Amino acid sequence: MKIYSIVFASLLGATALGATGANAQSTPTCTGETVTLRILRTPGNYPYPKPMEAWQKDNPCVKFEINEVPFPQLADTISVQAASSNPPDIIVYDGPNTQSYAAAGILLPITKYLPKGWDADILPATKAEHSYNGEVYSPGIEQTTVAMYYNKKLVEAAGVKPPQTLAEAWTWPQALEAFKKCQQGPAGAATVWGLGPTRFGNGQPGLVYQDLTYQRSAGDPKAAPTSSAYKTFWAFAPDGKTAEGYLNTPEAVEALKFYQSMFNAEGVAPKVGIPNAFFDAKACFYIDTPAAGNALIKDPKIEWGITPLPYFKTPVVHTGSTTFGATARSKHPEIAAKFVVDMSWGEYAYMNVSQRGNLPTLKSLFSRFDVYNKYPMKVFVDQLQSWGQPRPPGPKFAQYDKIVSEALRGVAFGGDPAELMADAEKKVQRILDR
Amino acid sequence: MSTGEQILTVSAGAKTRPRKAATRRQKQERLVAVGFLAPFMLLLLIFQYVPLLVMARNSFYDYSLLNPAAEKFVGLRNFADMIEYDDAGRSFGITFLFAFGVVAFVIPIAFALALFLNSKLPARGLVRTMIMLPVVTSSVVTATMWSFLLDPSNGLINGALDIVGITRQPFLTSTTQALPSLIAMTLWQQVGFGTILFLAGLQGVPSELGEAARIDGATRWQVLWNITIPLLSRTTLFVVVIMTVFSLQTFAPAFLMTQGGPQEATNLIVYHIYNTAFIMQQAGYASALSVVLLLVVLAISMVQMALLRSRWNY
Repeated sequence: MKIYSIVFASLLGATALGATGANAQSTPTCTGETVTLRILRTPGNYPYPKPMEAWQKDNPCVKFEINEVPFPQLADTISVQAASSNPPDIIVYDGPNTQSYAAAGILLPITKYLPKGWDADILPATKAEHSYNGEVYSPGIEQTTVAMYYNKKLVEAAGVKPPQTLAEAWTWPQALEAFKKCQQGPAGAATVWGLGPTRFGNGQPGLVYQDLTYQRSAGDPKAAPTSSAYKTFWAFAPDGKTAEGYLNTPEAVEALKFYQSMFNAEGVAPKVGIPNAFFDAKACFYIDTPAAGNALIKDPKIEWGITPLPYFKTPVVHTGSTTFGATARSKHPEIAAKFVVDMSWGEYAYMNVSQRGNLPTLKSLFSRFDVYNKYPMKVFVDQLQSWGQPRPPGPKFAQYDKIVSEALRGVAFGGDPAELMADAEKKVQRILDR
Repeated sequence: MSTGEQILTVSAGAKTRPRKAATRRQKQERLVAVGFLAPFMLLLLIFQYVPLLVMARNSFYDYSLLNPAAEKFVGLRNFADMIEYDDAGRSFGITFLFAFGVVAFVIPIAFALALFLNSKLPARGLVRTMIMLPVVTSSVVTATMWSFLLDPSNGLINGALDIVGITRQPFLTSTTQALPSLIAMTLWQQVGFGTILFLAGLQGVPSELGEAARIDGATRWQVLWNITIPLLSRTTLFVVVIMTVFSLQTFAPAFLMTQGGPQEATNLIVYHIYNTAFIMQQAGYASALSVVLLLVVLAISMVQMALLRSRWNY
């Protein structure tokens, strides 16, 4: 009898404990219909698991199916999948393509889903890049821009002292002098390069994101709108209807001759990529996004610093990052739009941005990132707020980007700047006329 | 009735003669043949011929891959654009130059290597493997390796040139050297394939013919020129057609090594088509370019077959 009593008491106790445990977990359960949101993104990109799991607690009926493609194949994949009968609900894509995707009817306008205060909190360059015909198509999560990193040991050994604030930023001729002083080995075949190659694409020069700023900085946004200085700065008609007279200007050609000399006559920058050149101390200076700084903070392979991006007349840096949006043909547009907006606002946005370490798109979040409140990473915040400009936006950005990048690469490889820019203008016009 | 009329009557009679009914065995064999062929023919139809028809239809439309529903019928405009703008002409010109360069070098070198391998060499198998290795290596690996070799600053080839006192060459970053560099890379990669084909041809040539000629006093050169080369005309035709078609369809080197540059110097037609469809979002124009490429490849192959038609059999 005694044994039976003990067994019965134990079972009762175990049941009670089990019930308590279940209550303590308080996992929300879905009581309605389950919805699966299909997300297309690049590996290692947002939305990240932690904020997604947190969001799912408030939205227990939503599940996710994630498909990943490498960044170089992202645009092609979107082209194919967006037109399919079953497109993804949410796409992560390169921010400057927002207007292309909006014009093609791929993205869902999300203006009506945006929270109060979003307009005042968002960086103007981000809003401009992610809007089309008065509607916002992507709230954006993070923002990037480029600045010039330097290897402290190498530049100090060369007696070079790079500026640390925007007010003291170098002009390109000043920067060139520093490259020449610091470079080791013969021009054009250095052992340590003055300016290292980009890590974007295949490492060759010419990318609009990085290299169109040479000629844009030779322009003047305050000049008369009909002047070549004004057109040089914008590099594309503000109404998006033409590039003629905006790329092949006297100011742009002059700047491009300088740009060309760095790869040829002066020989301070390589024409092809060298993997990890800056991180392996094979380059004194190097242009990159905050991602490089964050990597060096985690793993300080070299002593490093950051100097603002040099310029000719008007300092300018390009903004833009990957972003995400809900698709117009999603089977669950309301939920997809809610998820996209939620992920880019408040605590969820903080969780997403802090995962990778790029800059946030919301001004209110800057103060929460200590690393961006002091030198060297503060240079990025200052540049973004004072010099940031989106790449020339328009529904044909991808085509503009390809054509102008090829022209800039041609200049870097020794082609005639005026001829190549005139050709680029014609090609862009052909695309716009279609 | 004259003899001519008689013949005509006979032939007319032969034409109208009813066919013999197929036997049960013949019917069964036909059924088996159809059964074996059907799966492949079905796949061929779905993945080759239907897309070709769709492509031909799309060449008369203007649309983007981002929004294909908004397609617009433009008639022959895409074809007219190929004449109005110089991109298609330039790209085809570059591609022909590339194909000519590849074929002109692959044929004699592959033939010479095949003759070498056809002789009684001690390490024939090893040499054959060495020649074939680039053929079975992935195009991406080959392109990456050659990009490093041809690096204008620190590449191995420039290092070697430096040692012998020749100034460093820009190779892939030069408008005049980029295409020859791609031809050299393709030659290195494809010569093994040509060699194996020629070797197979050489091993099929009856040795008695050469031996008889040698007894009659012919030199080795005369045997090669008057017997071996003419008897290899079928193999030569095959290698020429295969290499030409392959060269006209080359994509990877332009995509991976030069992105069509510098200044479109290596903008091979298939890369141009890819670029037009996926980056420029002019899928209709890209389809029209593909139609023209298809016709060009067909025409070139037919001309080559007519010119190199075999006159000897063995």
